[in-house]
Amino acid sequence: MNKKDITVNKLKSLGDIILEDVEKNNVPAIKVPSRGTSNIVYDNEKRYYVLGDRYGKRSLGNVKQISKIAQMVYVANFCKDLVRRGKTATLREMYYVSEGWDVDFGDQQESNIVGEDLEVTLGMTREDLGLMPEEDGASVYGNITIQDDDVEINALRAGKSGYTISPTIDEVKFLDHDVERVIAVETMGMFHRMVQEDAYKKFNTLIVGLKGQAARATRRFLKRVNEELNLPVYIMNDGDPWGFHIAMVIISGSAKLAHVNHQLATPDAKFMGVTASDIINYDLPTDPLKDIDVLRLKELSKDPRYKDDAWQVEIKKMLKIGKKAEQQSFSKYGLEYVVETYLPEKLDAME
Amino acid sequence: MEREAAELFEEFKELTASEFFRRNKQMLGFSGKIRSLTMVFHELITNSLDASEEAGILPEIKIDLKRLDKDHYILRHTDNGPGIPEDYITKVYSTMFAGSKFRNIQSRGQQGLGCSGCVLLSQMTTGKPAKVVSGYKDGDTLKGVEITFKMDVKKNKGLILDKKDVEVQSTGVSIELHFKDVSYSLSEQGAYEYIRRTMIGNPHAKITFRDPTGHKYIFNRAADFIPPLPKEVLPHPKGVTADDLIFMAKHTDKRRFRSLLTSNLSRMSTKRVNEIEAITGIDLNKRPKDMKWEEAEEIVETFAKMDFMAPPTSGLIPIGKEQIEKGIREILNPEFVATTTRKPKTFRGGVSFIIEAGVAYGGDSGRMVGEQKKAEIMRFANRVPLAFDQGSCAITEALKSVDWKRYGIRDMDNAPITIFVNIISTNVPYLSTGKQSVAPEPEILHEVRQATMKIARSMQKYIRAKKAAKEEALRAKVFENLVPVIIREAAVLAEKDVPEYDAVLAKVTRKAKYEGVVEDE
Repeated sequence: MNKKDITVNKLKSLGDIILEDVEKNNVPAIKVPSRGTSNIVYDNEKRYYVLGDRYGKRSLGNVKQISKIAQMVYVANFCKDLVRRGKTATLREMYYVSEGWDVDFGDQQESNIVGEDLEVTLGMTREDLGLMPEEDGASVYGNITIQDDDVEINALRAGKSGYTISPTIDEVKFLDHDVERVIAVETMGMFHRMVQEDAYKKFNTLIVGLKGQAARATRRFLKRVNEELNLPVYIMNDGDPWGFHIAMVIISGSAKLAHVNHQLATPDAKFMGVTASDIINYDLPTDPLKDIDVLRLKELSKDPRYKDDAWQVEIKKMLKIGKKAEQQSFSKYGLEYVVETYLPEKLDAME
Repeated sequence: MEREAAELFEEFKELTASEFFRRNKQMLGFSGKIRSLTMVFHELITNSLDASEEAGILPEIKIDLKRLDKDHYILRHTDNGPGIPEDYITKVYSTMFAGSKFRNIQSRGQQGLGCSGCVLLSQMTTGKPAKVVSGYKDGDTLKGVEITFKMDVKKNKGLILDKKDVEVQSTGVSIELHFKDVSYSLSEQGAYEYIRRTMIGNPHAKITFRDPTGHKYIFNRAADFIPPLPKEVLPHPKGVTADDLIFMAKHTDKRRFRSLLTSNLSRMSTKRVNEIEAITGIDLNKRPKDMKWEEAEEIVETFAKMDFMAPPTSGLIPIGKEQIEKGIREILNPEFVATTTRKPKTFRGGVSFIIEAGVAYGGDSGRMVGEQKKAEIMRFANRVPLAFDQGSCAITEALKSVDWKRYGIRDMDNAPITIFVNIISTNVPYLSTGKQSVAPEPEILHEVRQATMKIARSMQKYIRAKKAAKEEALRAKVFENLVPVIIREAAVLAEKDVPEYDAVLAKVTRKAKYEGVVEDE
């Protein structure tokens, strides 16, 4: 059975649950896994956040829950229609479509939450359900050929800005590639630097420009190339707590999306830098840590995702020197330095 | 340069009461433009109510306030009381400290200053004379007289300018006064509000009021019977001073001091007098006139140490909870009202009082301040609204000490409620000569609290029931709307036919109606 049929069947089963209760003259209820913080647990084995086994019941007999069920059933019908017709819609579009329904959404936030309810209840991502995020994913540059619908794209011939990961990345097929690794960088400035310095040739790599916090589609792309193509993934961000965490969300997923982390987290991806050690070893130009940076670093040091020694050492070191550095600060030694010196040295050490 | 005593004392003068108050009009409550006019209304209305009730007439008052100029008004106040005989008219309206209210009796006014005070204010601010038309019965004939007069403040009596017989339709007094330096206001302290509150405290009265814009307000009576007249009661031993005893001794016709005590004080038996004699060693068989100040003092000190029965309460006539409710319903048209009249209690050991309270919720209860309804407190003493000095009053203090949250009023200041409190007593302990606030005697505070907490509980029940009913209706509606929608959409989702769901719908709506709140997950 293909993915589309599985999705449609799962959606239909939600309707069945309700109808069965009605036929038995019971008040229908739906079990929705709880997304409260107490039900989000870090799975040491899997190395990402997962949902625990607690769930809440949405009953037709409860005045607050009944409208949630109504919204959910409407969203399910909307999604079933999308999947059947091979279309996608953004949450915002769904919000506007809902104007014609017999149940209101107070605001878009509420429709987003119902979307998430449906994800956890059915154990599917919203992309599976045809609901797409608003924003595009990252830029990819390097020798990989993909097929999106019936169009073949080579990410070396898609312009200097590369191929933009589409929200429908799950529909994309990987046709061919000749790379050995993937290097994801936080800023587009670094992305273009690496393209200009032919880093993709030098290191036989795909270059991914994350544009800050990685979008769901980007994380899905990184997971797929890591698992389907067996490519190691390296992440290079700014040397501050925020850069650390952009990497960590790619590696271990976020707590908020615990219910879909099994499709998003890439536990084998590795953080390359900029580390606190890099700041010292390469004598990089720095800024002093702000109060909020210090606070965030302390939070991270207690986060289970950062429990391994390497992370703990780097966090302590950064707190000790009280400094942070941007990834572009390597240009102190010339524009080419990062590609000619830093990356080879780091890759050597890590591989 | 030295001056001789005689020379200095050339400037020593004797002031009449009128002259004194001319110089100190604020002591009559005439301070500020709004307050002055409210005090005029207060004096004239209380006088009319007292007069009608004493004559056994259901009070009906007509007030007409015209504005001639910026702060120049003409007030015509007419009642249907027994009227005033010709010879007494100038006494009532021009002599300070003349009146019938110097007894130990529950009454609205007390000092005999009121009416003459109004005439004084009129004369001081405009120089114009007052005009009174009085209709009264002389034997079986109805007489009518119109007198135009001024007040001679130096002599504390009236100066008649014009007098003529007129024809009148019924008994009653109509007085016309000019005022300047006063202001008509719709504020809480204003004259209009004063009338409105008077109606709540006196549901047996009817007042018709034409305001300066020409608008006519008719406040109809909500009750058709005249309250029984309060009786004079003898002072309680714990409420008298040595000076009171000496005063009684001077004005008595009793031959012995012991019989003076038993006949002039309440709760004073022969047995008690013997006890006092034994404790003090004073010979109480002597003539009252021979009583010395020191002895009187000793007797009063002994009173304080002895236990007496509480003072008789027959002299106290409360409005009554039913009457208060009628008054509130008539004026505030509330959704809900609760009232209570407490049993008589005493403060300072010897002064009896009764607290009555009412609370109104919804309708015209509360005060509109801008767009927002605010809670309002209506204070009364012997049925008379207290419009000023709210902050220092025992009633306000007691109400503030109540934890309204416990009665379902989360934000007391902004709740649509009116709280009514009336204190009935032969000697209301006012804080100042303006008689606008009650002294915070512990017993009074306690009674006000008890009274309001009792009615607040009833109000809380009402608010709860109302809220529950509203929620129930809302809940049932949600189910009736959504159950069919969900089942229809579920059928579309499952791609099956819509099943019969009447039983399920009945189940959930019944649950909503009879089981109340359904707990969330």
